[in-house]
Parts: sequence; structure tokens; C-alpha cells
Amino acid sequence: MSLIEGGDAGAFAALYDRHGRAAYSLAHRMMGERQAAEDLAQDAFLKVWRSASGYRPERGSVRTWVLSIVHNRGIDQLRSMASRRRTQDRVEQTAPRSQPSEAFAEAWRNRQREQVRDALGTLPAEQLKILELAYFSGYTHVEISDLLGLPLGTVKGRMRLGLKKIREYFDQENVAVPR
Amino acid sequence: MSPMDDKSFDDLKEAYALGALPDDERATVEAYLALHPERQGEIDDLSGVAGLLALAPPEQDPPEDLRRRLMQVVESESTSPEPARRSTSSWFGWLGDFRNVALGAAALLVVGLLSWNVLLLGDVQDLQGEVEQARTSDQAKQPREIKLGGAWAEQGAKAEVTALKDDRAILIVEDMPSVPEDRTGQVWVIRDDKPEPSGLLDPSGNMAATAITTPLKDADAIAVTVEPAGGSDEPTSDPVLVQEL
Repeated sequence: MSLIEGGDAGAFAALYDRHGRAAYSLAHRMMGERQAAEDLAQDAFLKVWRSASGYRPERGSVRTWVLSIVHNRGIDQLRSMASRRRTQDRVEQTAPRSQPSEAFAEAWRNRQREQVRDALGTLPAEQLKILELAYFSGYTHVEISDLLGLPLGTVKGRMRLGLKKIREYFDQENVAVPR
Repeated sequence: MSPMDDKSFDDLKEAYALGALPDDERATVEAYLALHPERQGEIDDLSGVAGLLALAPPEQDPPEDLRRRLMQVVESESTSPEPARRSTSSWFGWLGDFRNVALGAAALLVVGLLSWNVLLLGDVQDLQGEVEQARTSDQAKQPREIKLGGAWAEQGAKAEVTALKDDRAILIVEDMPSVPEDRTGQVWVIRDDKPEPSGLLDPSGNMAATAITTPLKDADAIAVTVEPAGGSDEPTSDPVLVQEL
């Protein structure tokens, strides 16, 4: 990151090659279509390039930081759209399976993804839906309450329980929450 | 904007971590955090868990065009150009060189096999002795022991890293599954998704031991893969032993 902060394009290219796929995947999940996902990913990576000094290693890994930029800018974009795409009914496609010859780093990231998907699989559907509407679709808690016809307190409670259950999954598996 | 109390903060912190607050409430939470920095840790913790959702979507390759467009902007603002990527032809050339080196090494290996076995046995004994010595020394009264799981462990291998206080670490694998003669176990220490080559695991009988050459401090995980003899710069196969740290 210090090289990127110093204006090293090669270091930025390496960072993009390592995290571009995960960032684009998140952007696509949030925006729902290719062009908007591309624009979001580009916007987020330019933010990374121009604000590398904002990275704080003590707050988490570079990947977490890059993905949080994609997420925050994605929420801004979703909220600024006059008629935004509603993504709550979107059904996730099956993740492509890794090949045995795949590079180890990719296998390692896939392992973390599988753990996260397993953790999400332990959530009751009503908790998962609320987390997805908030995180991927950019709805506020009040909007989710209106959308689902639930009391605001119920929405907040399900957010709380959903996050707690994800943490408990990692505690029970005796592995650290990926950062 | 009215100030927030502890109860309201508790009520909104999960929604804040998920990015599900409207701008005015988000600003209120941030104003509260500025006055109560001792509660920032709760937000960091919740944000870490919420951030895991970013890993859930199915992976998709970004369009090639995206990289090209990004690099055009970045290079125009850069102080140094991107280094040229290794061309396909040079990659294959490197592979050819590697094969030649590997063939030569294999011939030498056959000639020196007997003495090599003796050396390996000695190495294992030396490393085991080093562990025992460290366990009893004042410098490392409480060595950290890390058991590794994975495919080899499921086949009955017992793999354990002993991490000593002075940042040395040793991996010992008992009942290790057989590895083809032209392959070797290679240890990797993973930090920020990047595996660093950290020692070769050449068996002596059904046992192997190696000093881990990369410090484990702040590492995310340790793993072993099966690689071509002599080891690889980057892993070429999935891990057979792995443990998060």
C-alpha cells in the first residue's frame, strides 16, 4: 500500500489483479448488471488509488478495505438513483467450482468464501433477507421495515441476531473472523 | 441533530455497521463515536462481521476492459510505469528451464540417495531435539502448538507446528502420506492472502520435519501443498494441510 501511496502504478496493478475479482463480484451483486458494476468497480479502485493513505492496517486487511470502499460507494450510488434496481428477489447463481490447478491464493480466498457462505447458511431466512436488503441493496432500516411490513424494532432485532449468529458460527468453528 | 445516548447507540449500531442508516442517523452515530471513542471497538467488530457479506456473492471475472481503462487513468497520474508483464513465451521458456534443472536435480538425487536419507534422518532428529530443547529453555517456556487440519490429517497424518517465543517455528508431520519422488511438501505462511514459501517438507520414512523460514507473527494461516521437487515460488495445488492462526 505504501508503494501505491507513493504513486507506483505497478503496485496498483498488482493490487487490482489480486482483489479485482472480489470487488467486481460485490459490485455486480449490488448493482445487478454489468455496466453499472463496471462503473462502480472503476470508481472504487480509483478511490483506492487516490486515497491509499487512508488505509489503516489495524482495521483489517487490504481486501476488507477495498471491499468496504466498493460497498460504501455502491450504497451511495444505489441511494442516489431515482429509480433504483430492486435486488431483493435476485437469486444467487451457484458459485463456480475451483479447479485443482488453481493458484493457492485463489483457493485460500475460496475457502474463506465457503466459510462465509456456510455461516450465512446457518441464518434463518428472515434474518438473511434483512441483512441482504441492507448490505447489498442499500436499503435503510426504515425502508426495509416499510418494504417488508415489519415493525422497525423487528428489523433492528433481526439485524442484531443475524450478525451475532455469523460471529457465533466462526467462534464455534474455532476460526477467526476473516479480516 | 440531537445528541445520542448510550441506549440509542446500542439500538442503531448493527444498522450502522451494515450501512443501513440514513445520512442523518449515520452522522448522529459518528458524532457519538467522536465523543465516546471507547465504543469504536464495538463498531469495528460489527463492521468486520458485516463486511463478511462482501465475500458471499458468486465470483465473477471483471471485464478485461476494466483493467485497461483503470490503468490508463492510473498511469497518467503515476510517478512510475507498470512493470511489463511476463510474456507467455518467456513463461514457457521458464518452464522449460525448470524442467531441465529438475531433471538434473533428479539425476543427482539418485546418485546421492543413500547419503541423503541419512541426512534427512539426522535433520528430523536435530529438529525434534531443537523443539525439546526450546520447550525446556528459559527463552521459550510456553511454546505455542498449532495442529494442522486438511486432507492429510483426514488420512491420519498428525501435523503440528511448534511456534517458539523468538519467532522460530518448526513443523513436524507424523504418519505423512506418501508423496511421489518428483514432488515435495512445501510449507507456506499466508499473510494478507499472499502465500510466502516457508520451507520444504521432505519425508524420512513416514515422518517429516522442517524449520519454518517465515515468521508466524501477524500471519493469517499456515499451509502445506504438494509441489514439484525443489519447491515452487507460488503454490500450484490446493493445500493438504492448513490451519488459520
